[in-house]
Amino acid sequence: MKFLKIILLLFILISPSNANTIYNLIKIPNLEIYNNKSINGIKYLRAYKPFQVGVRNDNVTCFNSNIQTIDEKFKLIEENFNKYNSDFLKKINLKYVVLCENLSVSEIDAGGVPNHRMKTLIINIKFEKKHFQRILHHEVFHLINQSYKDLFVYDNWKDFNHKKFNYAECSTCSSDRLNLSLLEETKGFLTEYSMSTPSEDMAEIFSFLITEKKNIENKALKDPVLKKKISYIKKTLLKIDQEFKF
Amino acid sequence: MIKKIKQTKLEKILLIFIIILAIIAFGSLITIKNKCLFVKNYNPEKLKFKNSENIAILNAPCGNVIIELYPNISPNSVKRFKMLINSGKYNNVAFHRVIKNVLVQAGDLEFGKKKNLNYTYIGTGSSGYGTINSELDISFDFKKGSVALSRTEKKNTEDSQFFILLEDAPLFEGEYSPVGKVIYGLEVLQKVKYNDKVEYVLRPDFINTFKMLK
Repeated sequence: MKFLKIILLLFILISPSNANTIYNLIKIPNLEIYNNKSINGIKYLRAYKPFQVGVRNDNVTCFNSNIQTIDEKFKLIEENFNKYNSDFLKKINLKYVVLCENLSVSEIDAGGVPNHRMKTLIINIKFEKKHFQRILHHEVFHLINQSYKDLFVYDNWKDFNHKKFNYAECSTCSSDRLNLSLLEETKGFLTEYSMSTPSEDMAEIFSFLITEKKNIENKALKDPVLKKKISYIKKTLLKIDQEFKF
Repeated sequence: MIKKIKQTKLEKILLIFIIILAIIAFGSLITIKNKCLFVKNYNPEKLKFKNSENIAILNAPCGNVIIELYPNISPNSVKRFKMLINSGKYNNVAFHRVIKNVLVQAGDLEFGKKKNLNYTYIGTGSSGYGTINSELDISFDFKKGSVALSRTEKKNTEDSQFFILLEDAPLFEGEYSPVGKVIYGLEVLQKVKYNDKVEYVLRPDFINTFKMLK
């Protein structure tokens, strides 16, 4: 019991005292408000200094970005997040979007990191230009997935694929399954990254449905696996929000 | 015969300098020891209020903090807050979490009482009256001086703990249930004991008394 008390005291003693109110809310240091007047209630925050956060050894790192760089991208970012209304955002627990650059998770470059518990999505504003817009929705899907875990059944999803196909053990475990470009021949998967895990596969379908709906629906006409996956995502989203439109 | 030595001009200047230095040092000592020296202590009896039934007076080490409560914005939270104030539960309760120029937090009735201070669990205690639901629907501008009920990471876990903002916190809207705003004496709270390195204060300051004006 004494040991436990010492541990608790140590925990208290190492909690930072110079934390501002934003840190109090989402437990990410060095942030300031960039824009808090969006139509759907999202609060956009900017890193004014680099920060490190994460459950395991502060494995999420991101660097500050100057206001001018954010200004250049913000219109696009806001336009994309405005596709979700405030009711839907409440359902999926998204309220804070953190804008920073050169985001990495365990030293692997990342486009975004969602944190369902803290209602936060960290966005790497320097992420590859050609995928940037889509990656926003990809990360939103992860929040949807975390909010409605029961609705997205991975085993059912796996059954859509050819019997011989196996996903990788994690989203970054396989070096040949990281590419985010749309495949010419889909064979059930929109990108190489789709083949990493069921969750990433779903996120890729969702993000393409938001950004290139017609294009992938056309591809699905010749790809029965893809057709089933698209239908699954659409139906499940309607269970979450009857008015959801892709 | 002892020859009288006349002070040189330089020695005279030096003497005056030492005297001035001594006065400054003595003055500083008094100022440092008395943190409340320049803090105005408001007397609620001498002030006029529109809604005197919603005025609460928190007496801290450096004086009175006068708070207007907003039952129209958070009826249940204010009802709980008033009940605890009227029953004297907040008297001698620690300002256990103080972040310089950000916020002060108090109201742990279980582990934050002066006679029963528990450093291990302070901040986790309850009132014994159960939790109440968050009231977040009405818009509220979380400016400096705003008073709101604290909660755990989960919503609908408000109890007796509350915080008072020492800086604007617009992002708190929709996150915490507001109960009122400091209308006089915010500087009293800026003098509440804090620690530069930790949020939780060892040997904290206490609320002396907390009562409603009427």
